[in-house]
Amino acid sequence: MRDLPSGPALLALAREVLLSELMPLLPEERRADALLVARCMAIAQREAATPETSEHGFQDLYGAEADTDELLGRFARDLRIGAFENSPDRELCARAMLWRLTIAKLRQSNPEFLAANGFDQPGGVVGRAEPCPSPVSGKRSTPSPAAKSSS
Amino acid sequence: MPLRGGALQENWGLDARFSGGVLDGQQRLVLRSSAATGVAASLTRPQEFAVQKAAFAAGVTVAEPLFATEDPRIWGKPFFIMRQVEGITAADRITGDPAFEPALCMIAEKLGRELALIHTIRPPRSDLAFLAPYQEVGLTQQIAGFRAYLDRHHTPRPVLEWGMRWLETHVPPTAEPVLCHHDFRTGNYMLDGGTLTAILDWEFAGWGDPHEDIGWFCCKAWRFARLDREAGGIADRTPFYRGYERESGGAIDPRRVRFWEVLANVRWAIIALQQTDRHLSGGERDLDLALTGRRATECELELLMLLDAGGNCADA
Repeated sequence: MRDLPSGPALLALAREVLLSELMPLLPEERRADALLVARCMAIAQREAATPETSEHGFQDLYGAEADTDELLGRFARDLRIGAFENSPDRELCARAMLWRLTIAKLRQSNPEFLAANGFDQPGGVVGRAEPCPSPVSGKRSTPSPAAKSSS
Repeated sequence: MPLRGGALQENWGLDARFSGGVLDGQQRLVLRSSAATGVAASLTRPQEFAVQKAAFAAGVTVAEPLFATEDPRIWGKPFFIMRQVEGITAADRITGDPAFEPALCMIAEKLGRELALIHTIRPPRSDLAFLAPYQEVGLTQQIAGFRAYLDRHHTPRPVLEWGMRWLETHVPPTAEPVLCHHDFRTGNYMLDGGTLTAILDWEFAGWGDPHEDIGWFCCKAWRFARLDREAGGIADRTPFYRGYERESGGAIDPRRVRFWEVLANVRWAIIALQQTDRHLSGGERDLDLALTGRRATECELELLMLLDAGGNCADA
């Protein structure tokens, strides 16, 4: 059992101190660096708080249980040669997996970019994580003009 | 003093005094040399100098290139010197600062004209003989290069593989090659108030399809604070296309642009991963480089949005 506050909570607090208390003390030319530090902390905080999932739907495509890293490599190789193009169901399933993988990564690395593109917003779709092989569907909300993130 | 900007090159501001000659008197100059590590596709500085000279002669708004040398005894590595130009390149400011707002539409049209001028430079050119023939750097070779890189990369990238598969099954007819800047985007031009003062960073220039540069300029990665403004985050495509078409006298083919925009996302994703390799490989311990690789996933989302909008096949 680890002591509290948790690692992610400590990172969140440290980031808040950096942005609200230390940043104003920095010379102008170093503030961009501080924003990069804050962004690193936010990513580390989100990654620490979210266990890496091995559930991306690979079994829908490949059936057999296998190591996720191995299946990710196989999935990439199959996409390279168009292995799913002769089966509409498998093609649909593959695309749904691509959406799932991408959105899961962006939720950790840049959720603001997702939101700016209309994902994960109230009224928009929560990613495109429908189970295979249902069609990828849903409506995004209107994208926001701003996308850059320092978080 | 070192100047900001240029992740792959070093730029140094120089105040120099010349006695006699065409540069007689005080001059403000920039010395440009390579950073410690780079990416494979980059030209050498003397080659970049030659490209910039060709662009200057073609009437492109570019800092006048003055001297270049391969001799490492002077600066420790090859470099070239150009005139210093006033202005800012900060993409977040250009796309987000209301002070620029009134001029942005006109700047987009001007940039279209500039790009058309760059594209008037066509092979064969003895002064640019170092540029690889288009047949050797065309689409097939680019995709092969991307795949070779991904084969060595530590993590599989299924979306990039899928995007490249789409590209190779939707190849447009070959175009007559022109000089492409290959990094023509917001962040690589300089504005002084509402005036365009220079097109910068010619290190990736080479022969290519003219729509390559248009697709790159409009790629979402270069819209910064304004994703909704598809021409470099500064305007919609209309003024940019209008400027290009008026200067070139030819029509832009939106389908070809879309194709190259898909490629732009794949290309920028690969470059982003390579940038982080520079950090991971130990050559350059740098926070910005360490983070850049994560932007590859932003390109992957854009690929999905371009090719699978609404979950439908985008072959139509």
